[in-house]
Amino acid sequence: MDKRLILAVAGSGKTTHILNQLDEDKRHLIVTYTRENIRNLKSGIEKKFNCFPENIKLYSFFEFLYSFCYKPFLGKIDKPNGLYWDFPPKFTRNMPEHVPLHFFTKDRRIYHNRLSKYLIRKELLDRINTRIEKYFDHFHIDEVQDFGGYDFDLLMHFSMLNLRVNWVGDFFQHTYDTSRDANKNKSLHSSLDRYLNRFSSVGIIIDQDSLLKSRRCPKAVTDFITEHLGIVIETHKYEPANVQFIDDPARVEEIALDNTIIKLFYQNHNKYHCYSGNWGKVKGADHFQDVCVVLNGTSLNLFKKGKLQESASLTKNKLYVACSRANGNLYLIPENLMEKYKI
Amino acid sequence: MKIINRVILQNFKRFESFDTPLNQTLNIFIGDNESGKSSILEAIDIALSGSRSKVETIGISNLLNKNAVRAFFDAGKHYAQLPKMIIEVYLNDTGNSDLNGDNNLLGINSDGLSLICEPNIQFSKDIKTVLEQDGENFPYEFYSISFKTFDDRSYSGFNKYFNHVLLDNSQINNEYATKSYVKKLFHGNADVASRSVFENQYRGLKKHFQHDILGELNDGLPYQFAIKSNSKSNLETDITITEEDIEIENRGKGRQCFIKTDFALDKSKIALDTVLLEEPENHLSHNYTLQLIDSIKATGDKQVFIATHSNMIAARLGLKECIMLNSSGTNSIRLNDIDETSSRFFMKAPDNNVLQFVMSPKVILVEGDAEFILMESFFQRIIGVEPHQLNIHIISVGGKTFKRYLDLARNLNIRIAVITDNDGTYDKNIDHNYREYISPNWLISADQNDDRYTFEVSLYHDNEDICDELFGPGRTKLTVLEYMLQNKAECAFRLLEEKAEELVIPEYIQKAIAWISA
Repeated sequence: MDKRLILAVAGSGKTTHILNQLDEDKRHLIVTYTRENIRNLKSGIEKKFNCFPENIKLYSFFEFLYSFCYKPFLGKIDKPNGLYWDFPPKFTRNMPEHVPLHFFTKDRRIYHNRLSKYLIRKELLDRINTRIEKYFDHFHIDEVQDFGGYDFDLLMHFSMLNLRVNWVGDFFQHTYDTSRDANKNKSLHSSLDRYLNRFSSVGIIIDQDSLLKSRRCPKAVTDFITEHLGIVIETHKYEPANVQFIDDPARVEEIALDNTIIKLFYQNHNKYHCYSGNWGKVKGADHFQDVCVVLNGTSLNLFKKGKLQESASLTKNKLYVACSRANGNLYLIPENLMEKYKI
Repeated sequence: MKIINRVILQNFKRFESFDTPLNQTLNIFIGDNESGKSSILEAIDIALSGSRSKVETIGISNLLNKNAVRAFFDAGKHYAQLPKMIIEVYLNDTGNSDLNGDNNLLGINSDGLSLICEPNIQFSKDIKTVLEQDGENFPYEFYSISFKTFDDRSYSGFNKYFNHVLLDNSQINNEYATKSYVKKLFHGNADVASRSVFENQYRGLKKHFQHDILGELNDGLPYQFAIKSNSKSNLETDITITEEDIEIENRGKGRQCFIKTDFALDKSKIALDTVLLEEPENHLSHNYTLQLIDSIKATGDKQVFIATHSNMIAARLGLKECIMLNSSGTNSIRLNDIDETSSRFFMKAPDNNVLQFVMSPKVILVEGDAEFILMESFFQRIIGVEPHQLNIHIISVGGKTFKRYLDLARNLNIRIAVITDNDGTYDKNIDHNYREYISPNWLISADQNDDRYTFEVSLYHDNEDICDELFGPGRTKLTVLEYMLQNKAECAFRLLEEKAEELVIPEYIQKAIAWISA
């Protein structure tokens, strides 16, 4: 059975790649992480088939984990009241694993980042695989780079499935972990080689070619990313576009007031009164024409020195996500010039 | 095809706990009144429908087992011991992951549906208050009703996983029942898409009528007459079923029952998975019942459940498919381990008392009408009470077919006295013939004197004077005994009418009656 990790670059058409593999004969299971991606896949499927075929099941990762992997086995015994989306309080860490409070809140909600760990402790992984094999022929896992903690162990267990499994993701778009918990798989993303090794060591084929080129970002943008962030990205798109650093307050104002240009902030974008988003949160979005990336103090300094690629790893990845949203021009502006739009 | 493999009930109506495996196509529940036949159909109906309102209409107080409530009070009304009511319907592998999981009483991986009624945790304080009051006030009002698949997913009438119909012929006059039946069948025959097309066209026709026909009338009126079109008058409220242009409601009850059942079982088009038939023999003549049996037999693509009292239905559809419930216990006995020939025998045999036989704790089997006519009186004289007062049934099997009945009874724990003839050689016809039918539960009783080879001979030898007196006059060619042998039933009847109290009862019969009553 074909097991393959497809490494994609931003805008190279991951969603399209998955959609191309769907048909109405085989039973497809698609698991993805971001809400944006669920939306993209859903509308893509509906466009392709003019309906949502019964043989395709689309889950967000935690919905899949909770309702497909967990509840069928332990729902009646545990009587869980849903997932708990915050991280567990510190005291739970030192609690032995046989104590329910390590995994559950007092009102029986299960900590989202410990659900995989719980399934592993309950020795359910083989049964989960059997269940997947029973109901599906082809398993697509999207946004692979964001699986962390115990979720990554679960992900690796899927390599034993007796069906086609595709993992799709962009290592450099790793901006958070699905389940951060203590030191579990903490150094997973420390280097690309190390990361790929985790896959190849369990026999998963690594495909770095299929989705190498961006269909979204123009050459100017991909060149900027390659040069300043050190992330190699190629493109199919050779139409003219600009990447500009702008610190002329008059032009900044023009851009700030232009509601066709999204302003992407390092964090707390909703504290600014303009059309905006956060760097990491726009992952999966494909509908921005021109994009304005607002550089915070640290990033601005590094940029001026030409050393953006020395940013902290997660920051760099978020910046990569932000810059690679551009279908057209990319503007970079200093955050301090946005002060006047602060609410 | 969706198949129910097994049903488990807990504290549902008369069943504190009940568990029965089921047959793939046909299941016939037989049993006395109050044995719970209908309750099982009702349980399946409720679980498949996923209808809260169905449960609410019946009322949890009517569904929850009375003994469980009693036991709860007797044990001191502890909150933690409040009984739950559970219906679990185990299914074959349907290929739908929504139905599959371990969330059932057996903890096994299976497809299935369940209804759980238990105290609602949100109201636990209120329940506590109720329980703290003096007296025996059970907090039925605070019970929750939850329908869940075995994958722990809630379901309702809206996303129900089964298309089924429950037909209760005793409700034939109930307008609501008929309406919901018609709707079910309409839904079964027309999918959602074509239904909405029909609905749409129907509305269009009404509009046309209003415009073209009522138009003239409405002309010049300040307000207009129109045809209603709303949730109370639309295609589904107006639709009915006709046979030869006569609406089903206007046919005789028997025909109505027949049509309904026959249509539900029809396999040409209909998308019903399960048909539940509650006493289908109601209102049906012998002939209709036979036709109905044919329809049931021909239904290969649905699972059918029947609750019946009818010998004919049970025997002709096959005793192997029968699941027997008795009113004392809560266990079921399946007759499916009967050997094939015996089952076929009862299918072909005259419509006899086979149900009465399998459901009786004690039975006297006799060969023919003559023995049957006199046996009750014999019993009464020896024991002093009527046999039915001791729950003993007398069944005439018609000829030498005792072995079929004994085979049938092998696993049923029925105490049986067979009263038969030695036909001239006791050794051969009784000892040897029944050598494999030896059980402490069974007694084969016949006259041990080979000369007394049949019932009439024994009776005549023990009562020569009486018989000569009754049957002697008018004999020219035949002896009295020859006359008795040629007119068995008639003679038995005259003996019963005129000499019942004086007859000497042959010893082998006395023995059998004493044994069965012991």
